[in-house]
Amino acid sequence: MAIDKFTGENSIAFIRSEQLFDFARRNSLWYIAFGIACCAIEGLMSASGPRFDFDRMGVFFRNSPRQADVMIVAGTVNHKMALTVKRLYDQMPEPKWVVAMGACACTGGPFREYPNVVLGVDTIIPVDVYIPGCPPRPESVQYAFIELQKKIARRTEERLAARNR
Amino acid sequence: MTDRCEETLGVGLLCEGQHDPGVPPAGLRRSPSGVDGLTTEHLIINMGPQHPSTHGVLRLIIEVDGEEIVAVEVSVGYLHRGIEKLAEHRRYDAVGTLMDRGDYVSGMMGELAFALAAEQLMDVEVPRKAHWLRSLASELNRLASHLVWYGTFGLDTGAMGQFLYAMREREALLDILEALSGQRMMFNYIRPGGVVADMPLGLTEQIRTFLSTFDTYLDEYHQLLGGNEIFQMRVKGIGTIDRQMALAFGLTGANLRAAGVDFDVRRARPYAAYPELDFEVPLGTTGDAWDRYIVRMGEMRQSARMIAQLIDGMPEGAFTAKVPRIIRPNAGEAYASVESSRGETGIHLFADGTEHPYRMHYRGPSLFAAQALEEILPGHLIADAVMIVGSTDIMLGELDR
Amino acid sequence: MRPAIADIERLLAAFEETTVAEETPGVVARVSLADVGDVLAELKSAGYESLVDFDGMDTGELIELTYRMRSYSFDVELFVKTTVAYGGTIESVWYEYPSALMPERETAELFGIHLAGHPNPKRLLTTDGVAPLLRKDVPIRTVEEVRAR
Repeated sequence: MAIDKFTGENSIAFIRSEQLFDFARRNSLWYIAFGIACCAIEGLMSASGPRFDFDRMGVFFRNSPRQADVMIVAGTVNHKMALTVKRLYDQMPEPKWVVAMGACACTGGPFREYPNVVLGVDTIIPVDVYIPGCPPRPESVQYAFIELQKKIARRTEERLAARNR
Repeated sequence: MTDRCEETLGVGLLCEGQHDPGVPPAGLRRSPSGVDGLTTEHLIINMGPQHPSTHGVLRLIIEVDGEEIVAVEVSVGYLHRGIEKLAEHRRYDAVGTLMDRGDYVSGMMGELAFALAAEQLMDVEVPRKAHWLRSLASELNRLASHLVWYGTFGLDTGAMGQFLYAMREREALLDILEALSGQRMMFNYIRPGGVVADMPLGLTEQIRTFLSTFDTYLDEYHQLLGGNEIFQMRVKGIGTIDRQMALAFGLTGANLRAAGVDFDVRRARPYAAYPELDFEVPLGTTGDAWDRYIVRMGEMRQSARMIAQLIDGMPEGAFTAKVPRIIRPNAGEAYASVESSRGETGIHLFADGTEHPYRMHYRGPSLFAAQALEEILPGHLIADAVMIVGSTDIMLGELDR
Repeated sequence: MRPAIADIERLLAAFEETTVAEETPGVVARVSLADVGDVLAELKSAGYESLVDFDGMDTGELIELTYRMRSYSFDVELFVKTTVAYGGTIESVWYEYPSALMPERETAELFGIHLAGHPNPKRLLTTDGVAPLLRKDVPIRTVEEVRAR
């Protein structure tokens, strides 16, 4: 146990390495800059703008799928786009998470009746967090990332509990 | 070269000698034949649909000779979601929701185009205040849209700071638009017959507060990006679209005015409150990317001027005409066009007397700008492609519709 | 704004089956499908420099095509209309008006008609095998289909 001389707090934690990795992962969720439609303006651009500033949560955009942890599917996916979405998801390294942002990515949204539109991105790739709204406000996206962080923390605990059983 | 295009892509590019109906018209440049005696190999690069600089899901299939672009094919359709088809199954007051999602950065203009087209077939007198509120909403939205263009155009060159400033201003504008319409982006504010709601109390002061600093900030932003020597060197002289080519490719809006053609729908075919407003139409001379930048910056200044006039002279009265709950326009055909942020947004509407449109065609100006890229990009370096795409300010939502 | 009908009639006098009339959207010249290319070439030489819009409409029996022309020099606009049967072929006008390149592909694809003389006559918006979606006989998804996803 070591006491930090500046803050007076306990500065050393004894945790398992996988807990440490997950701690790091959930505090640096980098998303791939992949805006499909309207939601991209709210979820990716306003999000990295000065008012909402996701950077302070460790959420920042990367342009390459190989450097990204999270994929925000921000917009309508149609049959021509579906293959690209799947391919980008496959290129992301494990562990990876998907946020379906907006009504279109969740269920098809206002365009669900059009035969060319995929009814929800979860028919192509597994989705971790759904955000309703058309488009959702950036606050909703922030909340989605908080939920995602909780989910990652929960995953560690579940795994440890399964081992101790 | 042609064979390889077909092998690799399963398509024919606009290559020399292929499907050639004759000598191209003067002013249209065809792609150079490339190989100059040496056995060099052309490379085909796929840019998009996931690319941070294509402003959405545009896909460019670029054939390069070294660093020089030889031929380009623009591949679109990655956001095709049937706005035209679904409009045939929506009621007239609900089509605005689809138009918002067409050009999603400037939804007000799409709504306005549809409302104008529907009103041509309705027996309705739009009140004067509704006209003014429509113009006010359009100009506020134009500023928000141009700020997105300004921020991302800088990002394309590698600059970052101006994006944060632009987003700061845009958030202030979105607050105003949210107070006006109730939503940040998808307003559904302008409907056939008028607008949905009056201005809330205190909005005039909010807009005045915004305008009091905006002009100064705009000068600063212009200094920040346009005053930067690196930016100027990268932007000046690339992507030249001269008058003849702009007209041949059907360009409208700032892309056309940068080539020196004095045509603005707000001036030439006045609608809403524009006949009563005092504004200038900024023009370019050569039509390169720098001119398009200057024209758009000038448009922002004019928009701010118009907003000041609009809130000062806002008339009293009703904000919407008496329209029935279910709108059934007379059977017929109408065409209305407005000056959107990207050019001329047109709605070709066929009504058959029922509560749904029979057919709605949505002319997106970005489609015409995007197909001109096939002609502009060859001859440039591959690093300039991103700048030229950014300078034309295309929006994929209205391109694919 | 709107050109004089007499001027357009004089311009297109060589083409039979041509009617020029004033309708709600503007002055409309209705021409036969075979004449469209020549009519547009004639109009271009008369100063209509730009093809601003091109679209189709399914009337239930055939497809009505609208070319929207504009002359920036004279500040006038003209609609040229023609009709084509389902599965018919239209002649591309890209050589006169390059702005028709993509709208023609889109219309051909979404209405199920064919293009002749087009440099790149493949699909624009959808993938292979998708029905011509803007035709009236192609339905949208029903509520049951959407719920059963």
